[in-house]
Amino acid sequence: MNNAAFAQPTESPLLRFAGHNFEPLPSGALYWHARQTLLVADLHFEKMASFARRGQMLPPYDTGMTLSRLEADLRRTGARKLISLGDTFHRADSSTLLANAERLRLDAIVESVDCTWLSGNHDPAPHAIGGFCCAELELDGLTLSHEPKKGKPGLVAGHLHPAARIAMEGRTARSACFVHDNRVLILPAYGSSTGALNILSPAFFGLLNWPTVEVTMLGRDRTYPVSTKRLVRG
Amino acid sequence: MSTFVDPTLPPVIANWFATRGWSPRQHQLDVLRSYQSGASQLLIAPTGAGKTMAGFLPSLSELVDGKFQGLHTLYISPLKALAVDVHRNLSNPIDDMGLPITVEARTGDTSASKRTRQRVKPPHILLTTPEQLALLISHPHAELMFGTLRRVVLDELHALVTSKRGDLLSLGLARLAKLAPDMRITALSATVARPDLLRDWIAQPHPDRPTDLLRMIGGAPPELAILETEERLPWAGHSAKYAHRELYETIKQHKTTLLFVNTRSQAEMLFQGLWDINEDMLPIALHHGSLSVEQRRKVEAAMSDGRLKAVVCTSTLDLGIDWGDVDLVVQVGAPKGSSRMLQRIGRANHRLDEPSKALLVPSNRFEVLECEAAVEAVSENHQDSEDPHPGGYDVLAQHVLGMASAEPFFADDLYAEVTRAWPYRDLTRPKFDRVLDFVATGGYALRAYERYARLKQNLDGTWRLSHPSVAQQYRLNIGTIIEEPMVRVRLIRSKEQKRGRTTGPIGAGGRVLGEMEEYFFGTLTVGDTFIFGGEIVAFEGMKDNEAFVSRAVAQNPKIPSYMGGKFPLSTYLAERVRRLMDTPDEWGKLPNQVADWLRLQRDFSVLPRRDSLLVETFPRGTNNFLVCYPFEGRLAHQTLGMLLTRRLERMRARPLGFVASEYALAIWGLGDLSALIRTNRLSLDELFDEDMLGDDLESWLDESALMKRTFRNCAIISGLIERRHPGKEKSGRQITMSSDIIYDVLYQHEPDHILIEATRRDAARGLLDIERLGNMLARIKSHIVHKPLHQISPLAVPVMLDIGKEPIFGEARESAMADAADELLREAIGEL
Repeated sequence: MNNAAFAQPTESPLLRFAGHNFEPLPSGALYWHARQTLLVADLHFEKMASFARRGQMLPPYDTGMTLSRLEADLRRTGARKLISLGDTFHRADSSTLLANAERLRLDAIVESVDCTWLSGNHDPAPHAIGGFCCAELELDGLTLSHEPKKGKPGLVAGHLHPAARIAMEGRTARSACFVHDNRVLILPAYGSSTGALNILSPAFFGLLNWPTVEVTMLGRDRTYPVSTKRLVRG
Repeated sequence: MSTFVDPTLPPVIANWFATRGWSPRQHQLDVLRSYQSGASQLLIAPTGAGKTMAGFLPSLSELVDGKFQGLHTLYISPLKALAVDVHRNLSNPIDDMGLPITVEARTGDTSASKRTRQRVKPPHILLTTPEQLALLISHPHAELMFGTLRRVVLDELHALVTSKRGDLLSLGLARLAKLAPDMRITALSATVARPDLLRDWIAQPHPDRPTDLLRMIGGAPPELAILETEERLPWAGHSAKYAHRELYETIKQHKTTLLFVNTRSQAEMLFQGLWDINEDMLPIALHHGSLSVEQRRKVEAAMSDGRLKAVVCTSTLDLGIDWGDVDLVVQVGAPKGSSRMLQRIGRANHRLDEPSKALLVPSNRFEVLECEAAVEAVSENHQDSEDPHPGGYDVLAQHVLGMASAEPFFADDLYAEVTRAWPYRDLTRPKFDRVLDFVATGGYALRAYERYARLKQNLDGTWRLSHPSVAQQYRLNIGTIIEEPMVRVRLIRSKEQKRGRTTGPIGAGGRVLGEMEEYFFGTLTVGDTFIFGGEIVAFEGMKDNEAFVSRAVAQNPKIPSYMGGKFPLSTYLAERVRRLMDTPDEWGKLPNQVADWLRLQRDFSVLPRRDSLLVETFPRGTNNFLVCYPFEGRLAHQTLGMLLTRRLERMRARPLGFVASEYALAIWGLGDLSALIRTNRLSLDELFDEDMLGDDLESWLDESALMKRTFRNCAIISGLIERRHPGKEKSGRQITMSSDIIYDVLYQHEPDHILIEATRRDAARGLLDIERLGNMLARIKSHIVHKPLHQISPLAVPVMLDIGKEPIFGEARESAMADAADELLREAIGEL
């Protein structure tokens, strides 16, 4: 493996996909050293607030937490570019309802790095928060898109909120994860208010080429590539 | 007690008694006299002592002339089935006497049109549940329905006051006292440890009104024995398999036997075991909370008709309808508490002059000690029931929304009213205001949701709903009973051709066997066999909210373990067990195998003393063990284990995990604990110091799964998370996931939020049992006896056997992932 060329800011192992090396971060972001680009998926800003609108007063802190996470990742990696793979906002109009303080923090990010916002099923239309909005992106032989589709090689996507549960001698652990095979790489959901779906559940049926699947789980301070034979449902 | 007034029994009722050759019982007349003197009253009496008649005699007496218009008596019981049963028991004498009295039941099953009619034109006597009361008082114009109310009859009050349903009921009573100032309460209860608290509980809505405490005296003392087995008593486990044959013979010798167990998995195991040896094809049935309602009703009906020889059941049959013909109650497994045991024994033989007969069957050696302690406690008629506790903020939040649904209110008025509910009598005004703020906007320091507020203030200062749809939302989410996410289990024909495939459509239909916790199915793959409802079935697949199973034959089917249902050993019985161990003179009454075991412990190590804590340390395999014997129940031991491993980690003793039982706690790790203690590098007094309930507890709470489970309940009851939204069904799984996320977000940003505070209070008493742990740590302070050993002690054997069977705690999550990653690495470099 040709990883001598990369400086290693953390202990996390590299994730190799479609001829490129990425660093999976325990936050759920994927850092692409070669292009100094931070990839994130499914931020779902303002998710809790959208529940409050219907009368369920969920804590209004999720947007701030996700922003803190994003600021820390950008600072630590020194990324110059940010690509969000869709569902940045939980609702199409959420970008207009951001609280002032959070709007300012988001503006600061847009000013400091080059931002690209892919559209997602929750936020299909472009939002007016600066940066570049588009549906899909082709980059160095990779296709970046919100929803993973079968068949297209080199596809990097989000949307499904993948999680894995492993069983090791009576202990089990469940966490969000990166999952990829020889054609598609799916990022975990990055937003602090997002749930996650086991990669063994029906939503993933037919999508992954199982003999080539690799799974990287998010731990507290690092990520863990785990053996697929340890995977269980639930 | 107000004994100076003679009770007046109308002639028609007196004659009815006389024509049957009966006369009213003393306690029935006592209730009547107390009521007629203007008082409320609490009647303590065993099941089946004519309590129903005692409760209703005052109503019948007042309604006999047919002049009363409107609702006179509201009867509230914890069980829907009981309301229906009382309806029958009450209608018979009313019909016999030809009284002009209308009686109706109102439950979740009552039709919508009937329920509407009941609000407009109520019967004289309405029989219902605490949830229905909450719904009724949340309607505008509730005073039209309740303005005439004279009496409230509360049945099985002891079972309600220790739960959140009791909190809900108490708030409902406080409102009723306002709607119907003349209302008096009659409460019926089994014997409890603190009847005075129960009396205060019902007195609180009308503090100036006298409230009498009445007791029914008499009844023969129960006959209680422990199974004398010829078999070898197991060290650990809960199956009581050794006793199945002897139990089967006992069942044969009795007319009808009720076999109580503590968990649903034990019920499944016992039922399966008895059927395996049922050569005589005795009609033995199974009854537990996961079986379908129809199935349970069938068993209950067969039992009433005397068609069953035995029923294996869980606490689902602790309360409920009386069956006359039960002549033996068997408790398989630990009795847990004296009051619980007495109530279960009370399910046998309702003729008061004959003793109830009960048999205790310990499932392991420690439980022998517990059974022995229970026999003594029962013979002394000692009560150790849980006391009613302070009310939950989550229930209060639900109530506040309900009261806003009824009509706009002034905060001052509602606060005054709420403090007339016993569980909330000490509620401070600032706390009330925080709950109100929570209901209105979520109560967050970051005032983000003013524009979405559910409650708004009118110009006159009253609080009102911001929109009528909020009331609809409230009614869909009422109640305090939270169930684990469940899936329906359907029996279908096996699809052999699909065996081994993980996908494929499954046809709908098939008989419903019952419901099971969703998480259990996450551990199964298609083709796995397990026991459910006494049948061995194979898992065929899942679709939406249903699991499909087929009949199967298997040698070793899984037995689902269910969450909940495990009552902790009562403090009182624990104390008696410690005393028994500490008194070798009394070992004579123990079976030889158990007495020998204790002697061995005395010779090999030391016995745990009554007032101290024994801590043993010994090496075994590559690990070092610390085993202590607090006897405070599994929940408190789990919490202790979590906190001790954190401390041992800091003291560099490198702990790896622990396992907790009802009696003991075993922790293991790499560090040589005996040596660390001997060389004063580890102090047990410091390790067990009460200050662990400070920062250590705090830092553990933010990641504790038990806190998250408790939070989920609080979030649902308080209305933060909806069970149902108008027009939408939400599956349990979604609720579980999102409540964990909400907890994480909230705990990090507002650890003092009212709902976190509510969760903390519940957990301290419930799943974490911090109260009990705190009392124990105070008791053993500077009374720790350390015994370093070269190998495992006799007393440590049971808890050590639990390792591998019971869930292991510790830094399992990160370490499991780290080990899986190491394994992958070894695979990659070709070691595996």
